[in-house]
Amino acid sequence: MEKKLFRQYLVLVIPGFIIFTIGLIIPLFLSLRYSVTSWDGMSAEKAFVGLKNYIELFHDKEFIDAWWFTIKFTIGNTIIQNVLALLFAVALDSGIRAQKIYRTALFVPCLISAIIVGFIWLKMFSNVLPEINEWLGTNFNFLLFGDSKTVLGGLLIANNWQWVGYWMLIYLAGLQSVPGDLHEAAKVDGANAVQRFFHVTIPMLAPAITICVVGITTGSLKVYDLLVSSTKGGPGRASTSIIYQTYTTAINGRRYGYGSAMTVTLVVVLLMVAMIQVKGLRKKEVQV
Amino acid sequence: MTGKKKEKLREEVSTKKGNPAVQAAMTLVAAMYIFPLFVIGNYSFKTKKELYLESPLALPKSLNLDNYVKAFDKLNMQTTFINTLAYTAVSVFVLAILCGVTAWAIARCKHKFFKFCYVYFIVGILIPYQALFLPIYTIGYKLNLTNTRYGIVFMYIATGISFGVFLMTSFMSTVPIELEESARIDGCSVYRTYFTIVLPLLKPAMATLIIMQAFQIWNDYLLASLYVSKKQLKTLTVAISSLFSAQSSDYTTAMAAIVISVLPIAILFMSLQKYFIKGMTVGAVKG
Repeated sequence: MEKKLFRQYLVLVIPGFIIFTIGLIIPLFLSLRYSVTSWDGMSAEKAFVGLKNYIELFHDKEFIDAWWFTIKFTIGNTIIQNVLALLFAVALDSGIRAQKIYRTALFVPCLISAIIVGFIWLKMFSNVLPEINEWLGTNFNFLLFGDSKTVLGGLLIANNWQWVGYWMLIYLAGLQSVPGDLHEAAKVDGANAVQRFFHVTIPMLAPAITICVVGITTGSLKVYDLLVSSTKGGPGRASTSIIYQTYTTAINGRRYGYGSAMTVTLVVVLLMVAMIQVKGLRKKEVQV
Repeated sequence: MTGKKKEKLREEVSTKKGNPAVQAAMTLVAAMYIFPLFVIGNYSFKTKKELYLESPLALPKSLNLDNYVKAFDKLNMQTTFINTLAYTAVSVFVLAILCGVTAWAIARCKHKFFKFCYVYFIVGILIPYQALFLPIYTIGYKLNLTNTRYGIVFMYIATGISFGVFLMTSFMSTVPIELEESARIDGCSVYRTYFTIVLPLLKPAMATLIIMQAFQIWNDYLLASLYVSKKQLKTLTVAISSLFSAQSSDYTTAMAAIVISVLPIAILFMSLQKYFIKGMTVGAVKG
């Protein structure tokens, strides 16, 4: 009987298992395999070159710059988005009127494809915002995508416009699940609002914080679409992310094996980040 | 969370008084978030003359729809729109069936293999497919999946399954196991139990899954640009992105195209907001 049940359940799992294996797990191993070849992506010949690609990566300035940009973009996003999302969630949860309207207004941008968001901000910075300078008689430099020093800031603005509402909703759900009596008890014990926030609200929000931090980090490490329609990795190579660099190397530059080695570094980083974050943040969660 | 607790919570929330300063600050923030959307809408109605001669913030004199007509034509709308809709609908339908049964089997069967399966699927959440776009393209090429309709649908399913299984597994605890057990004693097979007893109880979870995945697939760019290059197979996002580079000076058409592509998903969100939020907040809330 047990065995029969097991077999029936197995039949339910197998199709998904196979599709997932072909679509994602085999590619994962393919990238490992090709990363030790000098394959150009087209020819039949795939010469084995050992770790040569990986050694070259360490001396490749373009590759290191791409990682450097990706890391700065990721750290910037993780800090700004978490802080803003939590701040807005607390503000909306503080009992202001028409909460739902604000919620929708902040959320809608994340429904838009990143490729469109990139284009919108390209036009915002170059055409629309300078007009506001004229109205106000101010002299802000809004051409953020035009200078390698400000391009990161411009992209952070675009990315935050798109995603803050999404993470805010997650924090909002977390806040609304904090039982009111916990706050009451802390109040009776003489804790002020700030103390209550850090000692009651934040620990209770731990699962939401885990989700947001992991989500924002992995989301930022894979940035690509946003760049295609806004900066095209420029000016120069100032906003070339790791995926963008892999794309140019492997597909435009016909160095598939070398590009695969880049893919492998990204996968390793993603796995490490996920492990560290899940382990580190889970410890802080409180059991109720 | 129990019903009583929720009621108490609501009372507590409703007694909170909003601070007018916070209200004003949030109004400003919301206005800043809406502003770019207003700009898109505004541009989409402008004539060429208005675009070049007037301030970008000036309202158009009339609601002329020329840009929409042009966008419709340039995007090859009757093809790309139907393509995107078809890819999204078929992928999401298959995903709903697959993720439901997979998650149910994982939640119900205590065998080690199913525990392994859960972790195996989660790998796909930790490593987003964008990171693996290069080998994903290669395998598609080798299996003759590129430039076919079933190929891109297959890939949307393969890349969406991780999140779907995660989502559905977390919903499974809401399905009472007693019903299934009594059905089994009556001689019901596993499959019939699922489709007659479990599936109807999963409706809200399914709605959540469908809308979360639909919005991802509808907006996808990387996979679609890698897998389909033939004109008659292209998706809306890919068509729009080529419009962006082709029309860098006359971008009113592009703006109209943006409105056309965002509207369906915005309407879907507005009508199914409840399920959307449920899907996003899985795991974020205790209890």
